[in-house]
Amino acid sequence: MKKIQLESKSERKGSEGHKSLPEEVLNNIKASPDLGLFKCVQCGMCTSTCPGARHTDYDPREMVKRVLENDRDVIFDDKIWNCFYCYTCQSICPSGNSACEVNQILRQMAIKEGSGVKKIDSFTTYGDSFFEFGMGSIPSAFFDDMVRDVGTGYLDLKINLDDIRSDLGLGSYIMKGESLKEVGDILDGTLFKDRLEEIKKHKKQNK
Amino acid sequence: MKDNSLSKASKEAPITSKPRVGVFLCHCGGNISDKIDMEKLKDSLDATVIEEFENLCSINGRKLIRDNIIQNKLERVVVAACSPITHEKTFQNYMTPLNPYLMEMANLREQCSWVHSDGERATDKAISLVNAAVERVKYSQPLDPVLRKTRKSALVVGGGISGITAALSLAKQGIKTCIVEEKPTVGGSMVQVGKVFSPEKMAEECAMCLLNPIVNEAVQHKNIKILTNTRLKKAERRAGNFNLLLEKEPKGVIEDRCISCGSCANVCPVKVPDSWNEGMTIRKAIYKSFPQAVPDMYTIDDENCKKCGKCQEACRMDAIDLQMETEIIPLTVGSVIIATGHKTFNMEKRPEYGYNRYPDVVTQMELARIMGVNGPTNGKLQKPSSGEVPERVVMIQCVGSRDEKPDGRRYCSKVCCMVAMKHANIIKSHYPDTEVIICYTDMRTPGMYEKYYKYGQSNGVKFIRGRPGEVVDKNGTLIVRVEDTLEKTPLEVETDLVVLSTAMEPSPGTVEVSEKLNVGLTEELFVKEKHPKMKPVSTDIKGIYVCGTAQGPKDITDSIVQANAASSKVSELMNGGLESEPFIAEMDRSKCNLCGKCRDVCKYKAIYIPADSVHVDPISCNGCGACISVCESGAVSIRGQSDEAMLAMISGMLENKREKEVRILAFLDDVGYVSADNMGINKVECPDSIRIIKISSINRLTPEHILHAFKEGADGIILGEYPDNPMYQKSQEKVELLRDELVKNGIDPKRLAFYKVYIPYFRGLAKKFRNFDRIIKCIESKT
Repeated sequence: MKKIQLESKSERKGSEGHKSLPEEVLNNIKASPDLGLFKCVQCGMCTSTCPGARHTDYDPREMVKRVLENDRDVIFDDKIWNCFYCYTCQSICPSGNSACEVNQILRQMAIKEGSGVKKIDSFTTYGDSFFEFGMGSIPSAFFDDMVRDVGTGYLDLKINLDDIRSDLGLGSYIMKGESLKEVGDILDGTLFKDRLEEIKKHKKQNK
Repeated sequence: MKDNSLSKASKEAPITSKPRVGVFLCHCGGNISDKIDMEKLKDSLDATVIEEFENLCSINGRKLIRDNIIQNKLERVVVAACSPITHEKTFQNYMTPLNPYLMEMANLREQCSWVHSDGERATDKAISLVNAAVERVKYSQPLDPVLRKTRKSALVVGGGISGITAALSLAKQGIKTCIVEEKPTVGGSMVQVGKVFSPEKMAEECAMCLLNPIVNEAVQHKNIKILTNTRLKKAERRAGNFNLLLEKEPKGVIEDRCISCGSCANVCPVKVPDSWNEGMTIRKAIYKSFPQAVPDMYTIDDENCKKCGKCQEACRMDAIDLQMETEIIPLTVGSVIIATGHKTFNMEKRPEYGYNRYPDVVTQMELARIMGVNGPTNGKLQKPSSGEVPERVVMIQCVGSRDEKPDGRRYCSKVCCMVAMKHANIIKSHYPDTEVIICYTDMRTPGMYEKYYKYGQSNGVKFIRGRPGEVVDKNGTLIVRVEDTLEKTPLEVETDLVVLSTAMEPSPGTVEVSEKLNVGLTEELFVKEKHPKMKPVSTDIKGIYVCGTAQGPKDITDSIVQANAASSKVSELMNGGLESEPFIAEMDRSKCNLCGKCRDVCKYKAIYIPADSVHVDPISCNGCGACISVCESGAVSIRGQSDEAMLAMISGMLENKREKEVRILAFLDDVGYVSADNMGINKVECPDSIRIIKISSINRLTPEHILHAFKEGADGIILGEYPDNPMYQKSQEKVELLRDELVKNGIDPKRLAFYKVYIPYFRGLAKKFRNFDRIIKCIESKT
């Protein structure tokens, strides 16, 4: 049988580290000031319209419930990585809650704890392209998936992009020289590069 | 020229410069005299007569006071005893032949001897309390309580079940009542719903069969007049009565002549959707809503009529008059009951459920019409798209209600669960093969209705716990997307009929009528009760009451209960008359420049300016004094609370202040004063610096009073008011203004404190007094 145990007052009032999960979520910088997490009545409207829930075993209502129950295991649950941030749950919630926002905070916690890093490491190549081209672009590792989803035309487009652009009278879209350096400096100055390295380090360790 | 119409008493005893004052000190059987040095108190006072007595409230006390008034020709009396809350009425009765309002009480028990442990300090405080009362009473005026009889007639706005019930109850008590209804027929939503149910009977009954006898009784009652197609156009308040103008739209048909044969409708070429059937059928421009409609006559819908005259030709009774004009009907009544009903949520705000897009998505009201024997299908359950009996019906609860989205309604609409259960049970009993699924978040079946819920479950109605997110059409089949939150699985429920349980909203008529009558509305635009618990049918305005869904979501039973409550309140008013304290605003018309600011500031709508002079409705005014603050020409005063009396009392409280002594004046409203009394009753120690003055509201205070108090030696002032009164916001603004005034005069604004008061929270008040006393002493020590 599941038990809800009494916490001592010091535990409840304790320092940052002892904050309950729902409080931690609400105090997170990503949480909207009026996030109605405590107002959730478990009506399930979010799940009923969630495309993630339709195709996977992700359940935004259940995720919110686990947060409210102070179940920290939810942070390490693989299911939370099936939300794709369409925000339908937020737009429909009659209680002013946003499962999507809660999800983002949980994922950030998972990344901080290390377990979420492997979920995002394939995205590091996006980061690399910022330094390389001065802009985001779909990494070559994803090309096979794109061809499967979009068709072989995708590969044609990729290969012939420069020609197509010049036919249209457009120049290269890749940044060069000063501009590229500037983008790099911004990403460096905002510690984006450090974060990228951090994630890559995890990637190597896990291999 | 003063408006003296209310007080005959003021002519009897003019204010003399040095009136003969008698002071009567009560020992209260030791409650006061054990703590306070009565000899010292007696010696410190200056009055014509000073007497003390063991128990002033006894019969012998009465004799002592009355004998002294007569023998010593006293003109004013001060009774220094307990709290006026306890015995003011008693002592007012002891004053004869003096006017009862020429007596002032000093509260020596609750607010002095019971809250101080040090006898010497308590005595000092008692001296200043009695002194203040003596100074004040010199300026007291003889007054009469305000008495008013209202007319024995009433207007009921709205001819639904609530309005009819209320009107019938009034009529049976001999009160002439007029019902106005904007639609061509009375009956309201109840006749539309077809069936009703009660938790006692596990059966659905015919609504019309229940309502019809009541409507007939109302129609035939000699005290009731029913005006259909009529609206309230204008309303004005005069001395407890209401002067009203009603606007009767032309019906195009002469009521006494029409025999309701229907030959006019047969020839009418105009076809429009019939709103009585929720637009599911067609009617003509000349029509009768339904066969049993009351009044039993045809009406022309002016909006759609082409004035072709065919009906006129067809009518053998010569009842049709296409030139009929709008009629204005004046009416004066003693009371008004608002019974303007509700409307349902606009489904365009919830496009995700496909209403208007899919013909087989309907509301509960439309389902009621479909299943009504006088409805579009003669009572057969059919899908609107094909006319087939649905194999499965899915009902969606809380559509628009319990919804915090901007266009949603935050409250629970209270009846939808029961309405869904009713329709589910009707379907199950007539079409056992049709499956009914109710998607709910919580089933709310309060009280005995739980029995009906269980009955539905045993009838095979199915339930899914989850709120559907959308309804979609997949290859001609409707699909309801919902999560079964108990099974933890997202579901797609195939169905061929979806029924939406929509929220109840205030009707446009409710808002319109409330505006015309100046009645306050809630945040959700329902009519606001004076107190949601204690005064559930009264509005902010005396003489106007509310019942039915105009006040909030409720079912038929609750509406009837409330309608009867409202009518008994009206009859209370008419039989008992109105009596209120005479402390009301008084206008000096020679000073008034008719700027209207007093009228605009008054939330009680007590002030009106009919032509070229300003009037105060004595019943509505509660003497808060907000009008004084806005009157630039100084034409307003509060009867019995004159500035002179206030200033004299302040001076009296601060007289004989010793060096280094701290004195704080506390101005408290009625609630605050009772709270302060509770400190005494519970023997909660209070700083002896505090001197309490009772006022009607903080709005009564002017900068002059405050500055006067500081000039006379006050070290601090604390203001206390109960926050749940209509003028509270003005009070807060007043405090800011007073603080600004202090700054302008070089007085530390920290010396003025403001505090919300509640009767049970007297310990909080005591704490506030102690803290403020400490703050003031701290400021004093620094200067």
